[in-house]
Amino acid sequence: MPRSIWKGPFVDGYLLKKAEAIRAAGRNDVIKTWSRRSTVLPQFVGLTFGVYNGHKFIPVLVTEDMIGHKLGEFSPTRMYYGHTSDKKARRD
Amino acid sequence: MATSQQDRVCIGAIAGVRGLKGEVRIKSFTADPDDVAAYGPVSTDNGNKSYRINVTAHAKGLVIARLDGIADRTAAEALKGTKLYVPKDVLPAPEDGEYYHADLVGLTAKTEDGEHLGTVKAIHNFGAGDIIEIDAGDDDMMIPFTANTIPVVDIENDRIVVKPLPVVEASGEADEG
Repeated sequence: MPRSIWKGPFVDGYLLKKAEAIRAAGRNDVIKTWSRRSTVLPQFVGLTFGVYNGHKFIPVLVTEDMIGHKLGEFSPTRMYYGHTSDKKARRD
Repeated sequence: MATSQQDRVCIGAIAGVRGLKGEVRIKSFTADPDDVAAYGPVSTDNGNKSYRINVTAHAKGLVIARLDGIADRTAAEALKGTKLYVPKDVLPAPEDGEYYHADLVGLTAKTEDGEHLGTVKAIHNFGAGDIIEIDAGDDDMMIPFTANTIPVVDIENDRIVVKPLPVVEASGEADEG
């Protein structure tokens, strides 16, 4: 069953506080967090979170497309090392 | 053969056969599965044999293809498990700011002060941009692949310069449970 709309998106209070403080200071620190359950809010766009996957902290650079998803969706708990083949990475 | 192995990339592997006419089932490792046939003839592990691939169909996530010179099931079965390689230089040149994973893996990572961090182990993308994994001995480092954090990528000199971001912790143990 989906979450009731009247409740609004869930985000851990301490994470929101920390993100707003970092944003207000204009820093681009990685915010290390265990809160995989927190929803990505519009005010998180541009920030980098280190989201724990049970093993290490995966950097998650938040973009607009990610709003409404949970942080844990971008930090998989199982790692697959495939072949490099013709895959490309883009440095923005 | 060690040098030539470094100059090649594995683009697929023969997973099995289909039918009696020598068609093979290829597990493609390329970004677009059909591109397994896009880079010209492929060579086998030891480089002794070379085949041109003609993709005929797709089934269960695999590419069904015919290989030049393979006309019956017995010959196709003999190739089961064979990895298929192409030379790195047949891959099209990447655009500005783009890098092949194959070129990045194995580069030495150093800080701006020249301190050795480790070697690039893998490149990931979990939906939040590309991430470089650096094998730093006991603990692997995950660094976002951006111009801020990786200001220099020098493939010719086998190195990248890493500028790790400062880390702050957000924990709320009082909120848990």
